[in-house]
Amino acid sequence: MNAPTPALVAPRPERLRLVGQRRQILTMMHQRLMFGLLVYAGVVALIVLRILYLAAFGDHAGAKRGLTVLVPERGDIVDRDGQPLARTIDAWTVGLWPGKVIGNKLDLARKLARLMPEKDEATYFAMLRSGKSFYYLRRRAAPGLVEAVNAIGEPGIALEREPDRLYPQTSLAAHVIGYTDVDGKGVAGIEWALNDKLSDAGTRGHPIQLSISSKVQQALEHELLAAMQKFSALGAAGVVLDIHTGEVLAMTSLPQLNPNAAGQGSPEARFNRATLGVYELGSTFKPFTVAMAMDAGIIKSFGKMYPCPNSLRVGGRSISDTHPFNRACSVAEIMKESSNIGTAQIAAQLGSTKQQEFLRKMGFLDPVGIELRERGRTLTPGSNWGEVATMTVGYGHGIAVTPLHLATGYAALFNGGVYRPATLLKIDRNHAVPKGHRVFSEDTSYKMRALLRLVVTKGTGKKADAPGYRVGGKTGTANKPVAGGYSQTRVVTSFAGVFPMDEPRYAMVVMLDEPQPTAETYGFRTAGWNAAPIMSTTVSRIAPMLGVRPDKNREPDMSTVLPFVHEKAEH
Amino acid sequence: MSVARSFRSVFMVATCAGAALTCYLVSLNVASERAALEEVETKIVLAQRDIRLLQTEIGTRGRLAQLERWNVKVLALSAPSADQFLDGGFQLARLGRPEPKLNVEAPVVLASAPAPHPQPAPLEEGDRRAAGAGATASSAAQLMQQASLRVPVREAIQPADPIMKPEPRKEQPIASRPAAKKAPATAKAVAEKPEKTSVSKPAKPAPNKSAKAPETKPAAADKKAGDKKLALASKPVTKPIRTAKVDPLAPLPASSNSKKTTRDSGTAR
Repeated sequence: MNAPTPALVAPRPERLRLVGQRRQILTMMHQRLMFGLLVYAGVVALIVLRILYLAAFGDHAGAKRGLTVLVPERGDIVDRDGQPLARTIDAWTVGLWPGKVIGNKLDLARKLARLMPEKDEATYFAMLRSGKSFYYLRRRAAPGLVEAVNAIGEPGIALEREPDRLYPQTSLAAHVIGYTDVDGKGVAGIEWALNDKLSDAGTRGHPIQLSISSKVQQALEHELLAAMQKFSALGAAGVVLDIHTGEVLAMTSLPQLNPNAAGQGSPEARFNRATLGVYELGSTFKPFTVAMAMDAGIIKSFGKMYPCPNSLRVGGRSISDTHPFNRACSVAEIMKESSNIGTAQIAAQLGSTKQQEFLRKMGFLDPVGIELRERGRTLTPGSNWGEVATMTVGYGHGIAVTPLHLATGYAALFNGGVYRPATLLKIDRNHAVPKGHRVFSEDTSYKMRALLRLVVTKGTGKKADAPGYRVGGKTGTANKPVAGGYSQTRVVTSFAGVFPMDEPRYAMVVMLDEPQPTAETYGFRTAGWNAAPIMSTTVSRIAPMLGVRPDKNREPDMSTVLPFVHEKAEH
Repeated sequence: MSVARSFRSVFMVATCAGAALTCYLVSLNVASERAALEEVETKIVLAQRDIRLLQTEIGTRGRLAQLERWNVKVLALSAPSADQFLDGGFQLARLGRPEPKLNVEAPVVLASAPAPHPQPAPLEEGDRRAAGAGATASSAAQLMQQASLRVPVREAIQPADPIMKPEPRKEQPIASRPAAKKAPATAKAVAEKPEKTSVSKPAKPAPNKSAKAPETKPAAADKKAGDKKLALASKPVTKPIRTAKVDPLAPLPASSNSKKTTRDSGTAR
C-alpha cells in the first residue's frame, strides 16, 4: 500500500504528451484507412458499373458490327425505271505471294498455266522465283476459276474479295455512265462527274437515278448501230430528249464501248460524240434560221418569196443547192427542198448580231449544258462573223456544235420557245425542272410545227416518217472540213426531228459520221437516205414505250404551209 | 433479438448482393436480346446482299443487248405498226367476224341431204327408231320455221338444229329435200347405195351416237331419263323443248354432231 499508485501520482508531462500524440496518430490513421477504403470501393464500383454497362450496351464477342445497313462501296447508278446500270459487287481476286509458296514451284507454275492460260508456265515460274512480294494473277475472277485455284491448296496463292464495279447492261449507255479506273475512281461519264456523290459514305447508300430509259436507249443504240454498219460509217451519235423537261432519255455514241473493260476500247470508242464531238451539222440548222427570222419579224408567212437561182455568189464564194429551183420560191419550199441559197438570204436579212444573239440564247456558243464533264467547245466564226459567215451559219456551215446542242436547240424551238439545259438526272421531287429562258416566241414555236412536218411528208425527209407518229424534222448533210477546204466525199449526215408533231413531246437527233453510199441508196450519201430512216425505225420502236399513241388521223395544222408549195416541185 | 441484430449486417449484404445479381441478370438478358436482334439484322443484310447479287446476275444475263440479239437471230419481232393500235372495245369488236364458223357447218348439213333418197327407207327407219318420226314430218317443217324466226338471216340455224336432234332431222331432210330437189328417179344405184349405207352403217352407229349425245347432254344439264329407249321414244314429243335448250349447250354436241354429219355426207358422196 506504501507504493504510490500510478493514479495518484501525477503522470509525467512527457508521457501525457505521448498519449495525446498516439490518439492523434490513431485518428489520422483511421481517416487514411477510411479514405483508402472509399477509393477502393469507388474503383470497384466503377469497374462493376462499367461491366454492367458493357454487358447491356457494349461490344461483346458475338457482336457483329457494320452489317446492319447495306451500303455499297460505291453508289449504284440506275435508270429512270430503277434498272441498275452500274453496281459494285464483291469480286474474287487471285493473287500470288511468291515468298510464301511452299510446294514445288515448277509444278505450281504448270498448274497455274493450265488454269489461267493468258501467261505460259515459264512466265509463272519466273514470277514464282522472282523476289517480288506480290502479284495480281487475276482480278474479277470467275467463281469456277477461284474454286479450281483453291483446290491447288497452295498457301502462297491469295484468294481475296474486293469491291468491283460492274455494268450489268455492258455497253448500254456506256458514254453516259462512264467507267472507273482500277481503284474504283470515276474517270468518265457520270462516274466522273458525280464521283464525290458516288463515293461519299453519306450519300452512296442512295442510288443515282438517271433520266436515261434503258429500253429507249437500247432501241436507239440498236438502230444506230445497224445503220452504222449498213453504211460503213466511222461512227454515230444519237440523242433522245424530253423537250419539256430537258431530260435526256437516251444518248449514245458509237462505236460501242464496254465499260466493264474500258481499257480494251479504242480511243475512238471511248470518245463521246454526242457531247464532246463537235460537227458542222448542216441543214438541220435551217429551221433555226427561219424561226429567228420569224421572231425578228422578217418572215410573216411561209409564203414569203425569195429568188432562188441555181447558184448564188457571195463574197467570192458560191452557194449552191442539191435541188436547184432556178425560180422564186417560198419559205415553205426552201425548207422542204433544203435550199441553201434561200436560207442564206434569210440569214443575211436577219444579220450577224441577231443571229449571234439567238445562238447565244440557245447555248450554241458555249459548251453544252449537261452534267457530264466531257463537253466539247463549239467552233464558231468568232471575230470573223461577217455577212458571209452569217449566211453559211444560216444553213449550218462554219459553226460546229455537238449533237446534244442540236437536240436542246430543237427542244427549245418546239416546246414553246424556252431553252432549258439538258439533264441526265431524272426530274422528280428531288430534282426540279430547270428554269429556262425564252428564246423564241410561242407563236413561232407553234408555226414551225407545220414547216418541219412538211419536210417529212413532202420534202427531203420522207424516209423519216413513222406512220401514225407524226414525225417532223430536218435532214442535214455537211461536208467534212479537210485541209484546204471541204471534202466532197466525206460527209456528216444527221437528222433532227420531233414527234408527235401535233403536240411535240420528244426531240431526237441522229448523226452518222462518214456514211458510204450503197446500192440501196442509189449512190447517194445524203441524210435523207441514211440518217432519216434511223429516225423512222427508232421512233416506231420507242414512241409506244414513251406513251405516244400512233394515230393516222392526226396531223398538225398544215394549212399554213401547204398553199405555198408549188405542186410541180413535188417529186 | 440479439441474434437478429448480430446477423443484420449479413442480411444487408445478402440483400445487396441479391439486388446486384438481379440487376446484372436483367442487363445480361437485355444484352442477349440485343445480340439476337443484331444477328437477325445481320442475316437480313446478308440476305439483301445475296438478293442484290442474284439480281445483278439475272440482270447481266438478261441484259437488253442480249435480248436484242435473240430477237434479231430467232424471234424477229418488230415494232407494232400504227394499225395495230386500237382505240377501244368498239374498234376491237369491229374486227371480229362470227360468220365463217357457221358457213363451214352449213354445207355439211346439205351434204347429209343425199342420204335421204330412199323415200321408202324412212318408213323402215321410222319403224325402227320411232313411229312418231315419220308422222311428224309436217310438224318438223314448222319447226324449221320456228328456228329461222329466231335468227332470221342465218342459214346456220339449220345446222344448229341437227345438233339438237340428229335422228329426226335426218329423216326430215330425207323426206323433204330430196323430194323437192332431186328427182327420185335420178339413179337407183345411187339411191341404193345410200340406202345400204344408211341402213347398214349409219343405222348402227347413228343410234349409238345419237344416244350418247343426248345422254351426255341431260347428264350435264339435268338427270333426265337414263334409258336410251325412253329417250328415243320421247324424241318427237320433246322436240320443241329441246330447241329451247339449244343455245347454252351448243358447242359441246356441235363437235360430235358435225363429225357424224360429215361422216354421213362422206358416205353419201
